[in-house]
Amino acid sequence: MPGYEVPRKFPTTVVGSYPKIGPADKAIKMRRSGEIGEEEFHRIARESIRMVVEDYLWAGVDILSDGEQTREDMVVYFAERMDGYREGDWVRVFDNVYFRKPVVVGRIGWRQPMILEDWEYARSVAQGRPVKLILTGPYTMLEWSFDLHYGDRRELILDLARALRREIDAALARGAEYVQVDEPALSTRPFREEAELLKEALDIVFRGVGAKRIVHICYGELERILPYILEYPVDQFDLEMKNSGFRLLPHLKEYGYDKEIGYGVIDVHSFQVESVEEVKEAIDRLMKADIVGPEKVYIDPDCGLKRLPREIAREKLRNMVEAARLAREEW
Amino acid sequence: MSDVKIEGQVLGGYPRSRIVRRALRQYESGSYSLLDRERVLHSSALTVIGVQVGQGFPYVVDGMLDWHDIFRPYAEAWRNVTPTGLLRYFDNNFFYRIPLFTGEPEPTDPVLAPRVRSYAPIAEPSKLKVVIPGPVTFTLMSSNRTGVSDEELAEAIARLLAEEVSLAVEAGAGFVQIDEPILSDPKASKDHAALAAELSSMIASRAGGAKTMLSIYFYSPKPEVYEGVLETKVDYIMLDLVDAGGAALRLLERKGCPGHGVGLGVVNARNVYSDEYEAVKGLVEAAMKACQPEEVLLTTSTWLDLIPYKYSLRKTRLLGYYTHRIAGEMGALLALAGGE
Ligand SMILES: [Zn+2]
Repeated sequence: MPGYEVPRKFPTTVVGSYPKIGPADKAIKMRRSGEIGEEEFHRIARESIRMVVEDYLWAGVDILSDGEQTREDMVVYFAERMDGYREGDWVRVFDNVYFRKPVVVGRIGWRQPMILEDWEYARSVAQGRPVKLILTGPYTMLEWSFDLHYGDRRELILDLARALRREIDAALARGAEYVQVDEPALSTRPFREEAELLKEALDIVFRGVGAKRIVHICYGELERILPYILEYPVDQFDLEMKNSGFRLLPHLKEYGYDKEIGYGVIDVHSFQVESVEEVKEAIDRLMKADIVGPEKVYIDPDCGLKRLPREIAREKLRNMVEAARLAREEW
Repeated sequence: MSDVKIEGQVLGGYPRSRIVRRALRQYESGSYSLLDRERVLHSSALTVIGVQVGQGFPYVVDGMLDWHDIFRPYAEAWRNVTPTGLLRYFDNNFFYRIPLFTGEPEPTDPVLAPRVRSYAPIAEPSKLKVVIPGPVTFTLMSSNRTGVSDEELAEAIARLLAEEVSLAVEAGAGFVQIDEPILSDPKASKDHAALAAELSSMIASRAGGAKTMLSIYFYSPKPEVYEGVLETKVDYIMLDLVDAGGAALRLLERKGCPGHGVGLGVVNARNVYSDEYEAVKGLVEAAMKACQPEEVLLTTSTWLDLIPYKYSLRKTRLLGYYTHRIAGEMGALLALAGGE
């Protein structure tokens, strides 16, 4: 595979999820009904992953994902593949749409690779571009499951962290360069104790990991916990910024932020495609705020793109890539 | 303590059982008639009412099984407002549809009164409680494209809700619960609290002889927000004692609950553990010591609709059992539906 050179300034990337395209949705249903097994499931989903990667390549994204095509839900996917969980009873997600909120009923443990096959397949069709390994973080796994076994959040989150670390180690052995942990649940409880609980878990997830270590956090009031998360053992925070009007920028400045930033410039809730100028302005804004240099800035959407129509997701990414290219000329 | 009155009460809606989920699905896909759907909803509401009546709760809810979220019935019934995209509902892995206000909302058919008419006779000797979204929560969690300020929109919403409440009480509702969870949000300000206090007072003034409560859950409000809320003229103020991790208890210790009965959310409605009796009792004792209320409602910490159906029933039973036991052990007066 020819090496691909990720731009030194403003590399573009994605948070992870992409609209389900191709046979992915059907494959998820077939697996759920027992019609197909795990192996067949991932085999069928390859076509979807390939289509996602093609969209990224078309848009010109530098660091890719597998589009999370096999993940019906970011917590359930992992819970179904770890020891200690059982399928839960039905809980509402919205309207009359329900999911089986997983329940912890025993000691959490890693069994075998959970996401590596999809990730490796994405790498094989990425034309040399790096593909992030993306996992649901221990805090989000903790918060969005029920627990009937531990009765102690700290013990549970630390075991979740250990299990996720096993997955990461397996990926590192296969050459993973970027490892991202998604923690959308953190900002829903923006309290010091919670931020510190996650720090302890992330020490397990990331200690000594030689790849780029990223945590994605989105929405909510991050400024409340910013001082505590800056201590996390990560290289990069990937942050939703566009949707909240870049409100966080002065806070980053205030706390002397100097890690890399995954800078969310695309609103994933809006069907309105951001123009190149709009995205470029957002990048200029970060540069003018004088927080970190352009080699520490990764340009990406606020969050996963899964709720957007594919056409809109593609267009948004393309404009984002073009804006990053223009920014490279200027900064 | 012997002159303190204690009663149990479920805070809000119930989750849908399998048969209800299926009925709604079938109706949407066209394979169920409206009548089929209503029949299932009605019989399922009777079940959740029966579970509460069986615990002796003086006031019970119908479960609100057909509501997709707390705002939805109004967003669908009123003119100039429509449910739109999904947004996370506080820190839950549950999403509501953002109501979009494009003009001053106007009422159509009442939402609550018909429910009360159909369920109140069945709930006897308990009385039916109605639950409404507080106007401040409703406004701040909506998208306001009316051209008027949030405050004015909240007032317009409050007027319509007051009318709803008035009709519901006429139809037989005995208790009105006004939910302002947004006041527990760290972003909530003194101004929000003042507005919530004013508007809930206005709504309560239309509640006739029914009891009224302002409930704040998910977290504990900030002290200055809680202080503002104390101005409200409702019978009870309810706080979430389990999810706030002790913060709500400290509030009660510092500020008391002057002029109000107190609602104590002590049975955790967001996990599936069977709450431990000693822990629940400890919370109740600490809270009562802190604010010396004359009337205490022991409640679930929030609606029960965030946990699976079978656990919602279990939590209801726990709440009933613990209420009896605590009242007995404390030598307090236990309020039961239909009296002794
Ligand atoms: Zn996100």
